[in-house]
Amino acid sequence: MLASATISIDRASKRFALAGSSEGVLALSELSLEIAPGEFVAILGPSGCGKSTLLRLVASLDQPSGGSVSIGGAAPGLVSGRHALGVAFQDHALLPWLSIHDNIALPFRIAGRRVDEAAIARLIELVGLARFATARPRQLSGGMRQRASIARALVLDPEVLLLDEPFGALDAVTRRQMNVELQRIWSERQITTMLITHSVDEALFLADRVVVMSGRPGRIVREVTVPFARPRAPAVMRSEAFHHLVDDLTAALEMPDPDSSPSAG
Amino acid sequence: MSAGRWNVLLGALGIALFLVLWEVIGRLGLGGISWPPLSAVLEMLADDSKWALFQRALAATLQETALGYIWGTAAGLGLATVAHLVPPLRRGSDRLAAVLNSVPSIALGPIFLVLLSRDSTPAAVSSIHVFFIVFVSVSSGLQRATPAHRDLFAVLGADRLKRFRRLELPAALPALASGLRLAWPAALIGAIIGEWFGASRGIGILIINAMQNFQIVLLWCAVLLAVGASLLFYGLLTLLERGAYARFG
Repeated sequence: MLASATISIDRASKRFALAGSSEGVLALSELSLEIAPGEFVAILGPSGCGKSTLLRLVASLDQPSGGSVSIGGAAPGLVSGRHALGVAFQDHALLPWLSIHDNIALPFRIAGRRVDEAAIARLIELVGLARFATARPRQLSGGMRQRASIARALVLDPEVLLLDEPFGALDAVTRRQMNVELQRIWSERQITTMLITHSVDEALFLADRVVVMSGRPGRIVREVTVPFARPRAPAVMRSEAFHHLVDDLTAALEMPDPDSSPSAG
Repeated sequence: MSAGRWNVLLGALGIALFLVLWEVIGRLGLGGISWPPLSAVLEMLADDSKWALFQRALAATLQETALGYIWGTAAGLGLATVAHLVPPLRRGSDRLAAVLNSVPSIALGPIFLVLLSRDSTPAAVSSIHVFFIVFVSVSSGLQRATPAHRDLFAVLGADRLKRFRRLELPAALPALASGLRLAWPAALIGAIIGEWFGASRGIGILIINAMQNFQIVLLWCAVLLAVGASLLFYGLLTLLERGAYARFG
């Protein structure tokens, strides 16, 4: 098993070209963030604040326009090249022509490694899909598909786990249930994790640290270390301290944007 | 009655009406001398003494069509794949395919006649038709993978070949199946046109001969055989297409 790695984001900026504008749009402005090995950090922010852009930089899907991003000291592209990134998106991105088992086996095939059947069976069991290993994604509910996509993200024992609103498309009840499950799954292997979300509850329940971003250009406006001990029972969400933190973070999210005028950036 | 059954019934009624009209117009001579009644055509098709002729012609045409279909599919699939994997070739191959398609096949016939033998011309014309349809459908099919799937493969560190084999090719199979369905009638037309340049036998030859000797009923027999061969395989390929969409769509 590979050791969990540090994610270092050092004054990263991202500018997108925009027709009719010589400057383009500044999606991220000199953002710095370090996620320690084995730490679970949730990035919270309104839509359009650049939090997905941040994840795409770490996932090697985009290059920063300024500053740097590294995983365990290496460029994200290298880490992805050695098949050490785990990722789950809001779109489950399961291949419709493969069974759940084969979807979870896909990272082995892409990496050109022998398919570790024992590891797959363990993960399918862990995410509660043992009875559905031979089913196709379209036969499963939205929540089950997301569980399969999380199992796929974990199957190669990645150095870091990147979750981009994995439960964003689910209903509130399923979402809460999935949070409880992800917490249980994550406690088993404590991988360095970056979760993008716009749900305050989800961030507080899952993460060791919550980072609040504000948009245009995206930057960090607040950081909170989550005090609750692990493993966390769903009852944590009903505690006084939890409610207090929810109010605190919701207020930070709703802070007026000081420079949201069109000339900003 | 469900909408589906209603549609089938309406379709059957339409076909029956068409056949009855054909027969009536032929019997009454309303369509002139070149419009025989359907029963006369069917009678000749069922005639044992003519069957050897029909069988030979149909076998020759089907063989040419199959050959053109296979070669055209291989060429279309091959060029679309190469162009997809080697991006600098994309624009050039698109143009080549468009130019080939814009040349009427009737104009290509004499060239094939010079380059190839008389009996290979039908398959060659047929393969040109098939090539274009398969090339276009596979080229667009290879673009069908969703952005989320492409992102996933990029993060998992897939190289271009792995992405092609595990993502783009399976995602392109429904489009390929649609192309294969559309290509069959085009292949048959190509073979029949190709035969007009002097092949020794085939449905196209039967058509020409019947026309020149004013054997109207025989001419209609040849046309019905061509239509039957076209529809039969078109139907089978439609089933294949449905399967591809159900599995890979």
